[in-house]
Amino acid sequence: MKIIHSADWQLGKPFARFAPTVRAALTEARFDAIDTIGAAAAQAGVQHVLVAGDVFDTEGPEDRTIVQALSRMNRHACRWWLLPGNHDFARNGGLWDRVRSRAGAGVRVLTDAAPVEIEPGVWILPAPLIHRHTLNDPTHAFEQMQTPGATLRIGLAHGSIRDFGSQMESQNQIAPDRAQRANLDYLALGDWHGALRVNSRTWYSGTPETDRFHSAETGHVLMVDIQPGQEPTVTPLRTGRFTWLVRDWLTNDLPAFTIECDQFLAQTDPSTTLLQLSLAGIASMSDRIAILGRLENDIDHRLRYLDVRADDLVGRPSPDDMAALAMEGVLGAAATSLEARIAQGGQDAATAKRALERLFIEYNREDTV
Amino acid sequence: MSFVIRRFSVNGFRKFRTPLVVDGLTNGLNIIIEPNETGKSTVLDALRAAFFVRYNASTQLVKSYVPHGEAIGPEVSADFELNHVAWSLRKQFLKSKAIELTGPQGRTQGEEAEVQLNTLLGSVRDTSRNGDTATHGALGLLWVAQTEALAVSAPGQIVRDSITSMLEAEVGAIMGGESYQKVRKRIDTQYDLYWTPTGQKRGRQTEALAHAEATQTAAQKAEERLTQLEHSFTALETTRTQLKVLQREMADTTDSQTRKDLLTELETARAAAQILTTRKAELDTLHARLSTLEDLQQRHTAAVTAQTNANARLAETRARHALVAEARATANQKAQTARTACEQARTARQAAQTALRMGEELTRHNQRRTAIQAACTRHDTLVDLERALHTAQAQARTAIPATQLAALEGLERAVAEAQAIAKAGETRITLSGTTTDITIDGAPAQPGELTLTHPTWVRLGQAEILISPPATATHAQTELAAARTKRQQALDDLGVPDSAAARARNEAAHDASTTLRMLAVQITAATPADERISLAAGPEALKLFVRELDATWNSTPDTQPNIPALTTARDEAETAYARAEGTLASALEALRRADDDALPLASAEAATTSDVKHATQTVESIEARPEWPELTETLRRLRHDITQAAVTLEQATRNAATHDTAAITRRIEAIEARAKSAAEARTRLETDIARLEGIIETEGGQGLAERAATAREEAQTAQIKLNQVTAEADMLKLLRDTLETARNETSAKFVGPVARRMQPYIGRLLPGCDLGFSEDLALEKITRAGSDEVCTSLSRGTQEQLALLTRIAFADMLQEQGKPVSLILDDPLVYSDDTRLDLMTDIITEAATRMQVILLTCRDRAFRHVAGNRIILGQSSPQTA
Repeated sequence: MKIIHSADWQLGKPFARFAPTVRAALTEARFDAIDTIGAAAAQAGVQHVLVAGDVFDTEGPEDRTIVQALSRMNRHACRWWLLPGNHDFARNGGLWDRVRSRAGAGVRVLTDAAPVEIEPGVWILPAPLIHRHTLNDPTHAFEQMQTPGATLRIGLAHGSIRDFGSQMESQNQIAPDRAQRANLDYLALGDWHGALRVNSRTWYSGTPETDRFHSAETGHVLMVDIQPGQEPTVTPLRTGRFTWLVRDWLTNDLPAFTIECDQFLAQTDPSTTLLQLSLAGIASMSDRIAILGRLENDIDHRLRYLDVRADDLVGRPSPDDMAALAMEGVLGAAATSLEARIAQGGQDAATAKRALERLFIEYNREDTV
Repeated sequence: MSFVIRRFSVNGFRKFRTPLVVDGLTNGLNIIIEPNETGKSTVLDALRAAFFVRYNASTQLVKSYVPHGEAIGPEVSADFELNHVAWSLRKQFLKSKAIELTGPQGRTQGEEAEVQLNTLLGSVRDTSRNGDTATHGALGLLWVAQTEALAVSAPGQIVRDSITSMLEAEVGAIMGGESYQKVRKRIDTQYDLYWTPTGQKRGRQTEALAHAEATQTAAQKAEERLTQLEHSFTALETTRTQLKVLQREMADTTDSQTRKDLLTELETARAAAQILTTRKAELDTLHARLSTLEDLQQRHTAAVTAQTNANARLAETRARHALVAEARATANQKAQTARTACEQARTARQAAQTALRMGEELTRHNQRRTAIQAACTRHDTLVDLERALHTAQAQARTAIPATQLAALEGLERAVAEAQAIAKAGETRITLSGTTTDITIDGAPAQPGELTLTHPTWVRLGQAEILISPPATATHAQTELAAARTKRQQALDDLGVPDSAAARARNEAAHDASTTLRMLAVQITAATPADERISLAAGPEALKLFVRELDATWNSTPDTQPNIPALTTARDEAETAYARAEGTLASALEALRRADDDALPLASAEAATTSDVKHATQTVESIEARPEWPELTETLRRLRHDITQAAVTLEQATRNAATHDTAAITRRIEAIEARAKSAAEARTRLETDIARLEGIIETEGGQGLAERAATAREEAQTAQIKLNQVTAEADMLKLLRDTLETARNETSAKFVGPVARRMQPYIGRLLPGCDLGFSEDLALEKITRAGSDEVCTSLSRGTQEQLALLTRIAFADMLQEQGKPVSLILDDPLVYSDDTRLDLMTDIITEAATRMQVILLTCRDRAFRHVAGNRIILGQSSPQTA
């Protein structure tokens, strides 16, 4: 039997730090992912989509968010099994009551930790979270859950695997060998945003649409083929539209930067790419200005989003730079004064550095006009 | 670069309503002499209009060119040479506005001509309303209107740039004028987006701040609302749990069973309590009865004892009473005897007292009579004495006062003195022999000595001799007579014949006074007071007493009683009476003591009698009671019964204590209260749950968590943006300040060389002085003999001269720079004295060898000696007069 395993839709995530157009696109992409999953299910003949928590970004989303999500799901023939995670935990009178009151037949909310038979002999053992933070292992109850006549026992849970390398305070921790101990054929997990295999029967699907600059593989769902008595076959399916990239470039002059830049553009689809770029190195003042100018005037417009961190790209006025300014008398004196201030260090130095850069920019703009 | 105006004309321009043409201007010094009111200043304004005011401007300045009340287009034209190349310029303003510039490359018009003109003259387009000479380049500084010449001012930016560019190599610094200006302008524009000119935040900064604050507030509000909702969720959860617990508690039947058991127990307890009460009552009855009978027995015993004691006391009291009665009878007898004796003694005493009183009365009467007799005798003496006193008083009154007597003696002495003087002047003749034939003043003379006091005719025979005593003698006689008359008058006044008599009378009066005093003493002695007859001292009292004396005073016979004997008799009677009284008192005291002894014994006897009677009655009444005969047996039986009853009560008490009704009741009440409060709590909790569910349903549907998350992110983003904006603003401020400082520091470097170049010019006016320039190349101060003088504090004349000299110096520097220079001075040096004026005209004349100088003046005489090209304006254009 095949199922689609997904998680961490985080519907209603604000993205408020982005410009309104970017924000709208990112928000919309999260809803579109539902359609993508629905389409994939139809194509693969999958009847059940299991969402392992954090369907919504908060426990109190806007009505519009709920309605959008449900209407997208209702468009598809498959059945959606939604599990409350830590972001959208279940409680009386809370989010899931709102969802349930609007949900159609195809959407099932698993707010009770009780096994459900989804097909004859196929049981889902859900571990819904009823608090934002749970200190106990929510999957502990799986071992006691009775599934009469089960041919397949599929666990559905949200949380981190114990000792899973998270530096965060350990909450909602799940035993890594839960599948084995609870006699599960497959344990579908959510919370970790990248697709990850814990063991042959335990997987994180990750989020279907990336929502942050993340080093992990994100933007997938898992197509899982489970047969009694066999290890499941797990196949990641790309669903994400946007690629969030983090890049650190070491560059000391404009030519090196240009090469790097061109290579990057050649490898990516700029319109679906969000880039967090950190620049480091020591460049001449004019090169630094040119690099930043290229990023500001060209790359920023090409990409969906660009976040440049150039504090570590030190711009030093070259002797030529200083000589050019010195020719201008007062401007040269001002530049020298700012350099002295930079050399003194302290909080002023950062301001002085920017001021010197601006002086060069305005002076050089002079040349081009 | 040489710049020479050859000719200019003005038409329809302010005063010059008709054409004015000034021609024949030469290279050197041109002195245009204009009488007052011919429009000297207008000439300069017209030249400025021609070269620097845009032909198509319609500023207030341009409008002021139109002659008053006319609607024509003011027109100016000029022919000039620039670096020996001839140019011709014509401009018309407002109406038919036009510009035409003709040069070696031909003619240009309109905007192009304006641009070309600016290029030629190094000026820039003037956009001010009233004309800004700073835009005129070098000529803005060198064409000096009358009012502008009076103060030392800074050159405009264009001139400063020219000067500094000339000096850049010399000072080793570069002003970088153009690029600096452009960079600076851009930075200023950016700065203005963030800061006000006074450094207050504005524009982007305030917007970012406001946005950050607004988003922060919104986030906070959203968070608060969410928190509120979360509280409601928590409260709902808690309340539900409470309700569950409560319901579980209410479902528990333990309490109702306990209550049932307790009710049964309560019944039992009530019965036990009833028995206990009964037992207690029984015991109490027994105790009461025992107590009554014991009391009866005790009272009987006490009454018998009292009866015995009272009888004994009564016997004793009666015996003592008999003894005391006997003693009292004896005392009474003694008292009777003493009373009789005392009565007799008193009668005797009274008789003795009466006899004595009568004796004393008689004695007093005799004494009075004797006193009256003595008084009468003294009265007779007094009458004699008073008579003598009257005589003496009359004599004493004749005394002459001492002053009168002294005056009389003075008069005596005056007579004596006058006699002596008269005597000295007398003529004495002594006649002897026969004097018959001799007559003196007709009277026969007598022998003897004769004293003549007046001219006296002595006849001797037929002869007559006139003897005249000296004249003084006559006078002395007169004096003497006067003295005598005075004395006689005094004597007459006193009533005495002569002085001796007066003295004798006075002596007699004196003696009488002595006698008077003596008599007064005698009278006093004769009239003493006499108490016996109530007579006061003094003659008047005595006389009154005698006068009023009754004739009967001497009637009583003269017998004398024996007073001492009478006194002795009375004293003895007194003693006898006192003794009798003492005896009586002691007898009465003895009787009283006897009574005192008897009285208490009588009372005691009566009381004791009563006690005996009472005790006897009590004993009888008790013994008469029906229970008396069986009393002892009854008591014994009762005590036994009480012991039994106490045991029973103890048992009942134990039974009652096992079943504490109060405690049971309390427990029942507690169970009931618990049930009641549980019911109330359930109602309350259900109400709360309904309320909270309502809140959650309303609020929860509003997506508060998503809104809060969004608001939070927006606030963070706004804060980041604010930080960026602040950083940008700080950077711009720093950059602008740095540029400003750099410019000021650099421009300060140019001051020295400018001062050095100025020195030769100003040194001629003020030898040995040092010059101080500000950063914008304005002459600020001069230093003479080590002391600074600010330009504005110098005299007007000196200021004007310095203003002109600095301009000439700048003109030389600008010329060196290749700028077109020419000097136009409108009525200069009006405040200069003759010496300074000569010096200044020398300097101007020298300057005219290097550049064209046009000097407009109305003072022909002041510049008459100056060599130069003279043009008299009034004459060349008689129409404008």
